[in-house]
Amino acid sequence: MGLNERQMTTEDGSVEAAAPRPARILEVNRLVHTFGDFTALNDVSLSANSREFVTLLGPSGSGKSTLLRILAGLELPTRVDALILDGHDVADVPANRRNVATVFQHYGLFPHLNVLENVEYGLRVRKVAKAERRQRALRMLEQVQLADFAHRNIAKLSGGQKQRVALARSLVLEPVILLLDEPLGALDEKLRIDMQVELLQLQRSLGMTFIYVTHSQEEALTMSDRILLMNQGRIVQEGTPEDMFDRPASRFAASFMGMENMFEAVVAEVGPETITVTADGVTFSGIWAAKGAPAAGDRVCCAFRSEKVRIAGDGAPEPGLNRIEGSLESRIYKGKYLDITYRTAIGPLRMREWDAHAVTDEAVRIEWRASQTILFPANEQ
Amino acid sequence: MTRRPGINLIPHWSERHSWKRLGLVAGVIALAIIYLPILWLVVMSFSAEPLSGFPGPFTLEYYRELMAQPDWIGPLLNSLAIAAGVSVVAMVTATVVGRAIPRIGRGRFGIVGIMLLPMMIPGVVIGTALFLYFRVALDMKMGLWSLFLGHFVWAYPFAFLSVLIVALRFDKVLLDAAADLGSGPIERFWRIELPLIKDGVIAGGLFSFLLSFNEIARSIYLKGRTETLPIYLWQQAASHSSHISLIFPLNVLILLASILIVSLAFWVLFGRAKG
Repeated sequence: MGLNERQMTTEDGSVEAAAPRPARILEVNRLVHTFGDFTALNDVSLSANSREFVTLLGPSGSGKSTLLRILAGLELPTRVDALILDGHDVADVPANRRNVATVFQHYGLFPHLNVLENVEYGLRVRKVAKAERRQRALRMLEQVQLADFAHRNIAKLSGGQKQRVALARSLVLEPVILLLDEPLGALDEKLRIDMQVELLQLQRSLGMTFIYVTHSQEEALTMSDRILLMNQGRIVQEGTPEDMFDRPASRFAASFMGMENMFEAVVAEVGPETITVTADGVTFSGIWAAKGAPAAGDRVCCAFRSEKVRIAGDGAPEPGLNRIEGSLESRIYKGKYLDITYRTAIGPLRMREWDAHAVTDEAVRIEWRASQTILFPANEQ
Repeated sequence: MTRRPGINLIPHWSERHSWKRLGLVAGVIALAIIYLPILWLVVMSFSAEPLSGFPGPFTLEYYRELMAQPDWIGPLLNSLAIAAGVSVVAMVTATVVGRAIPRIGRGRFGIVGIMLLPMMIPGVVIGTALFLYFRVALDMKMGLWSLFLGHFVWAYPFAFLSVLIVALRFDKVLLDAAADLGSGPIERFWRIELPLIKDGVIAGGLFSFLLSFNEIARSIYLKGRTETLPIYLWQQAASHSSHISLIFPLNVLILLASILIVSLAFWVLFGRAKG
């Protein structure tokens, strides 16, 4: 079963791998999955390394949960070139014979079993002796700070506690990969933020590979080593949280990652670092975020964040800054900040003012950095 | 000064508190209608003149006579055997079909409707139809088997409905979770699904048992020479035989046995859960 030789547990309760695992723990090549006429996953390839925290990020219906179910084995793929898990091709292997474990969106805890029995379930299935499985389950419950709740009824737990039981139930099996399907979606905001930290600490201390599904860019940015952004059954962009946040490479990625300001422009000049574009007679500079390089005359899309925009001073613009005249259109108080919209020659632009009580002038000049302005092809989604 | 729209402080008749008291009274009357005759039967079974209409003097004579006269044991055993068989078969088949319904994508309501329709068909109609079919079309000998089949047809929709209700409520994500934790299909059923739908399964079995045990309308057509207990009792009550006084104690014994079975079932369903 591969379970017993990996049970080397140190004094402080952290689990160490006895045999070094291959660095590449998961490899999926050209996966296609259809439901009837609907293509849920269209030519998806991905990989994950040992101890990596990979996030599948995307809106609902983007195929991320389906992908997770296929990795778990709960759904067998319509077509795939290779689905290699820990060195074995498991494309046709059902869930109960794969060494991965899933934390489900609504936990999927067994209501007729108590906390301890839930955590023991997988060990019982694997015919681990009673004394040993009890001990391992209790130790895991300790790790998620629920040892005192071992004999509690599932129905009597709070959302956060259920979440931890679900985690313990999966982790006690020491899976090669832990799959998490929007595990924090049902929790309130404060608890969600605490659990983000806790999950991350757990992942680091266990040295386990996590594949995490979420629609929240904030969660993805906080927790991940690498983010795979999904849309309409495809992986549209992949990179570190910084890459994804600063350099989304398509309209979809830019708007999903929260770039409020976006407009079309035409390339005027391609420089060594920045590219100059014109839109409605106004000239800007930005950096190219997509693959390849544009040529003069190409239609491109230009995007930047509202929090990078500020009010310009009176002097001449510094090099590396884009500047435009604007007049106040709307001003929305958001508590921590103000969302201000200015009407400009290239359309309405948003600015985030961190002083929520700032006085806003009717006519201003606003500016933002060329290095924080990203450009990508306009003809792609 | 303009008058504001006034507030009427006198309650509307539908808002009166006395409705609650009326509810209580009506409830007591209803219970009396149900239980008084049964209580009467119990009292009369100990009375020397059960048909006289007055209780007492009290005696155990008819119980003694009942024990001495074993005609009723054969019908009782037949009824028990048929009811037990119907109960087990209905329980198993209702579980198989009831679980399948939530997994069917389209047309499940049509199927459910067809499955439940026999509940609405009058017993004598089904009885005649089954008699003609078994006897004339299949050339079957009427007896235990025809009774079993007739009772099964009668009891099945109830058992099915009982399982269906819990099966529709069952969260299939739990089966995904169990598979994910390493359970194959058989283990998923025994360890996860069955424990969670067992209330409906047992209730279905219990209903089937009672429905079969009490059945008369269909049994009249299907019994051949085999006697079931309800038919035996009915025949004894209808004929002016000397055994008529024995019906009282016999009914009391059946009542006791029924209460025992039902209590046992309720204990299995709800009593043990508090652990």
